Amino acid sequence: MSAVIVVHGGAWAIPEELAQASVDGVKAAACEGSSVLKRGGSALDAVEAAVRSMEDNSVFNAGHGSTLNTDGEVELDAIIMDGRTLASGAVSCVKNIANPVSLARAVMEKTSHIMLADRGANLFAESIGMGTVPADSLVTEYERKEWEKHKNYVAGVMEDFNTQWAHDTVGAVAVDCTGNVACATSTGGIRNKMVGRVGDSPIIGSGGYADNFIGAVSCTGHGESILKVTLARLILSHIEQGKSVADASQMSLLYMGERVQGAGGAIVVSPSGQWAATFTTERMAWAAVENDVLWYGLDPKERLKEQLPK
Amino acid sequence: MLPVVVIHGGAGHVPRDRSDMSISGVCSAARAAYGILRGGGNSMDAVVEAVIQMENNPTFNAGCGSVLNVKGEVEMDALVMDGKTLASGAVSAVRNIANPIQLARLVMDKTTHACLTAEGASQFARAMGVPEVPLQSLITEYARMRWQKNLAHDANPVESQMGKMGTVGAVAVDREGNIACATSTGGLLNKMEGRVGDTPCIGSGSYADNNIGAVSTTGHGEAIMKVTLARLILFHMEQGQSVEAASDLGLAFMKSRVNGLGGVVTVDPQGHWAARFSSLQMAWAAAQKDTLHYGLYTGEHFTQSIDVPNPH
Repeated sequence: MSAVIVVHGGAWAIPEELAQASVDGVKAAACEGSSVLKRGGSALDAVEAAVRSMEDNSVFNAGHGSTLNTDGEVELDAIIMDGRTLASGAVSCVKNIANPVSLARAVMEKTSHIMLADRGANLFAESIGMGTVPADSLVTEYERKEWEKHKNYVAGVMEDFNTQWAHDTVGAVAVDCTGNVACATSTGGIRNKMVGRVGDSPIIGSGGYADNFIGAVSCTGHGESILKVTLARLILSHIEQGKSVADASQMSLLYMGERVQGAGGAIVVSPSGQWAATFTTERMAWAAVENDVLWYGLDPKERLKEQLPK
Repeated sequence: MLPVVVIHGGAGHVPRDRSDMSISGVCSAARAAYGILRGGGNSMDAVVEAVIQMENNPTFNAGCGSVLNVKGEVEMDALVMDGKTLASGAVSAVRNIANPIQLARLVMDKTTHACLTAEGASQFARAMGVPEVPLQSLITEYARMRWQKNLAHDANPVESQMGKMGTVGAVAVDREGNIACATSTGGLLNKMEGRVGDTPCIGSGSYADNNIGAVSTTGHGEAIMKVTLARLILFHMEQGQSVEAASDLGLAFMKSRVNGLGGVVTVDPQGHWAARFSSLQMAWAAAQKDTLHYGLYTGEHFTQSIDVPNPH
């Protein structure tokens, strides 16, 4: 069977000035993940590589370029999950780490735990020799300005803003040529969040879930709404009931809109290579590679195609 | 059938000399929660009160009596969820507070977030005027003894983790039909600093939805997370399974797929309830129609009038 990777760069009202860079970023990340799969790499390796590429890209709210909390600091959440064993690793509220998705993978592979938080996550990073970066190196001029602009708003107003703005979590799902599926999600969270706020991204079943018998999902959007409906697991439960990946995503996102008034997006891949990228926000930058064809889009119903070199 | 409350004091293997204390602890918590419900109180108040009582009871692995992490410190996780709105509040890896479940409820009621962790949770507690308590006040002799035993070279940490997985939790349906759940824990004995288990993770440690029911889980946290046990059981109920069958299906899947043991308390909107476990024991109690139900071993189910003082 052919391997497939799908990535997203966050579902939100992406402003025009970030549109091109977001599309370029997800295309590059999908190609990065795809080249891992082509070399015979696992789905797990592919989603990690794709997410690292977006963490390193300052246009996205993950790793470098993350949003700032009320104290003007970067606190990062990430998860990775292996659909073969249901093993997963997550970090929440970690600081000074350039690639939280790789730290999440280390939690999965080198500890008997699934999630490490805050200082404990940093102590673990230190113990395995993962280098830290100065806090300022993860902060972009753009985010510093946004923080300055919004820091005087009261929380309620910010929440209105946050449903429109800045939840550009990044994520990837993949199936490799042996039929293993995996997912990874990474984020800086929402702008001006409280210190210590943990969103949906590192929570298994909300920010992502992967099971070789069903498929893999990575979610983005309003984190608190995604948590309320455990969106990733909800989508997979519809697939278990016989729905297509596209219908399952659409139904679940509509349910989230009706039940808790939340908007978001999801990417899904099934063990047989069916995939979908769906969103109820204004925009979501996404890209997928299947059989040397790169698919991508930003606006609703947009589905562009490029042939990649064999 | 309404109101109803079901409580657990953790799945695992409770040493004989402590099993009586576990049973009387869950029965007291059930009685207190049922008192609130019978007086017309709501399910959220009831489950939070039940869990506060067990956090304050040194018998259980939550609040005072929590297990110690690898450094000999207490870090706690808790989650509440309101089945009417699906709102939830959680704290993870929080220190120096007596009742994490109350702080979780404040996260739900007073912030726009669903989870605060570690130092951020402490900052929020201070802002809310929640008193800080000294670490020592949360540590029992028993917890310290087990921690030290586990540091020994010939220790078998997995074996001793099975000895007391005593997460506590409650699910309830009030007269209005509103459903709530609450779960609180000190986590895993000799866990790494900052380890967050299933308890504060929505869908794993618990889940509540007025349209389906509620579940609170206990057992091996990492296994529970891998299968998002609470949500999984509710999916089975959405497909038409009874509270009992759905609970058993979820626990059986966890055992076969990821080799994990645990237990759950489950309710549905009509007031059907179940307390099921795949571990050797789980201390549980339920209150409904002025009757108190309780048990510890598989198949055990004692009943008595709610107004008679505790067994044992």
